[in-house]
Amino acid sequence: MPRQARNMLKYVIKRVLFMFPLLLAVLVFTWLLSHMMSVDPYLNKLGQVMDRETIERFLRQSGYYDPWYIKLGIYLRNFFAGDWGESYIILPNKKVIEIIMEITPRTIELMIFPIIIVPLIAIKLGVTSAKNKDKPRDTLIRGFAIVGAGFPVFYLATLVQLFVGITLRDFTYGGINLEVVYANSPLLRNPVPEGGVGTGFRIIDSILYNNQEYLFDTLTHLILPLICMTFVSLSAVTRMTRSTMLDVLDQDYIRTARAKGVKERDVINKHALRNAVLPTSHMIISGTAAALLGSLFVEITFNYTGFGYYMITAIWAGDYIVINGLLIFSTIIIISGTLIADVAYTIIDPRIIY
Amino acid sequence: MTQIQLEKLESEEYSSSKKGKIGSLLKFYLIPGWRNPEFYAKEEEIGRIKSKRRLFRRLLTPLTIAGFIMILFIVVMGVYSIWLTPYTIDELSLPYLPKGGIPFNPPSSEHPLGTTKYAYDILGRLIWGARTALTAAALPVIVGTAGGLVVGTISAYVGGKIDSIIMRIADFWFSFPSLILVIILAPMVGQDLYNLLLLFGLFSIPGAARWVRALVLQVKQNVYVRAAITGGAEKFKVMFKHVLPNAMSPILVGFFGAMGGAILGFASIAFLGLGDESFADWGTDIAYSRGKTTALYAVFWPGLLIAIAAIGFMLIGDGLRDALDPRLHI
Repeated sequence: MPRQARNMLKYVIKRVLFMFPLLLAVLVFTWLLSHMMSVDPYLNKLGQVMDRETIERFLRQSGYYDPWYIKLGIYLRNFFAGDWGESYIILPNKKVIEIIMEITPRTIELMIFPIIIVPLIAIKLGVTSAKNKDKPRDTLIRGFAIVGAGFPVFYLATLVQLFVGITLRDFTYGGINLEVVYANSPLLRNPVPEGGVGTGFRIIDSILYNNQEYLFDTLTHLILPLICMTFVSLSAVTRMTRSTMLDVLDQDYIRTARAKGVKERDVINKHALRNAVLPTSHMIISGTAAALLGSLFVEITFNYTGFGYYMITAIWAGDYIVINGLLIFSTIIIISGTLIADVAYTIIDPRIIY
Repeated sequence: MTQIQLEKLESEEYSSSKKGKIGSLLKFYLIPGWRNPEFYAKEEEIGRIKSKRRLFRRLLTPLTIAGFIMILFIVVMGVYSIWLTPYTIDELSLPYLPKGGIPFNPPSSEHPLGTTKYAYDILGRLIWGARTALTAAALPVIVGTAGGLVVGTISAYVGGKIDSIIMRIADFWFSFPSLILVIILAPMVGQDLYNLLLLFGLFSIPGAARWVRALVLQVKQNVYVRAAITGGAEKFKVMFKHVLPNAMSPILVGFFGAMGGAILGFASIAFLGLGDESFADWGTDIAYSRGKTTALYAVFWPGLLIAIAAIGFMLIGDGLRDALDPRLHI
């Protein structure tokens, strides 16, 4: 193998090997965290028992009085065996893994549109803004991007929800009636019939089983959260692209290219953009991973039962098992996202040698 | 000149009084581009003759002026809040419940913008909330930047094993989604304002340390650092006198950007109901009036002011970065 590819392979293997101790440290940390939560989890299991001896016997049996290393060992063994516990407050006696498998497709449905659309539009906007620096076009795009970055997400979401859902409906006497309060209308059922094969994605399921009403319902309920998420992502990526593009456009090789007679379009798209897109690509890829989790506030506002919604209701209720499970899941996603972003960094820029 | 006069001149030139040392050191760091007049007499003369008009013209673009005006508005609201509203700060937050008030009243003559959950006046809460917002902006960022500076500079300068250990620890903290972690820890730490802000600041130290380390590594490659080391300066002196002041401009820009982010982060936590309810805060206002469809004014104004504060800080940060960038030949 050529030397550069071998170095890159060594770097990738080193990073992947580092992931496992990191995951272990994250597990120990969340275990420690769950010990600091203040809601007593044994009361639900015990029910109405008031007898002191029974309570003590139950606690001894469940492992309350064991030393910390036994507790940690049991926790790790259960984690790697696949038993992440059962939720006890918000969805009683439902396994955490089942909860995660149900809600991840919903969050992915929310996230897939911004992930695809935003890099295409935002890089173009950032490049235009950097090309005409301090001209009216630049000020307009910058103002637009700053509005998206500066307004709190939940504020925009609440305003949009109240405006479209209630004011517009009252104004047109029920003509434009876009329901914004739930993820699906509560009367419609899951389109997967009993014993059928379902993927968990509502859109794909309703296409497979030819249930048009459900499909239309899902899509109309998805529009407003999508608008909010896209707007926020757009502004962040536009600002980042603009600043890196400004840094690149002052370099000497751009001046050389212009002096050589290269067309302006090629100067920007071929020479400048490839150097400017590097930090932006890092942000987009690791932001994709974080975007799966960054929809907390939008989901709470629109009552959309995705990842963020359950995270926040679990924190409000104090259900530490669900919090643990969701936190570890999100950490795994962020770690793998960062790893992919770093590897992509070295692929895009072949000058980086480790 | 005689020998005696020459010796006198020499001794005068290299003696420096102890008095202005700390003041000049502080100015060296905080004001980008300021240099001690003792050592730069000739450049000082030229600088006094040459006008600073170019720097100001690059700084005062329309958007940056808009940012300055926004921040000035909020600071004035915070400083002069005693005279701007007839309510005192104790009357507008939780341990006090106003008697005979109607919650979520539409704007009336007595309450120009209406009332909110426990019949507090919205305008009063907006004006006194400016103080809370500025504290929530300043405190975490100062803690985070100071900690990040110390850790990042030491890590970048010492190098080797300690550097990689510190970077591994920073990676570990970085792999947690920081907002979610603060939300989880907020009910445990208690709902006191200063505890929350301190937590925020502590969680932003790893990210700031990483960034400062990358910056210091970049500056360390310059020739004057190597010249200083060859000249015999000790390691820490080189770090604090040569490397760090030249890295100060991006750190200053990042400071303002982080302040905008801190306002938004604290408002997010208050929106979930985990904020401190005994302070008149804008995020708590939004949490109070979330589902009320008939009381749009209770949601609209606090959120607008949060947006104005965050946007103002971000615009100032962007303007400073555009103006202080040394590579632009305009």
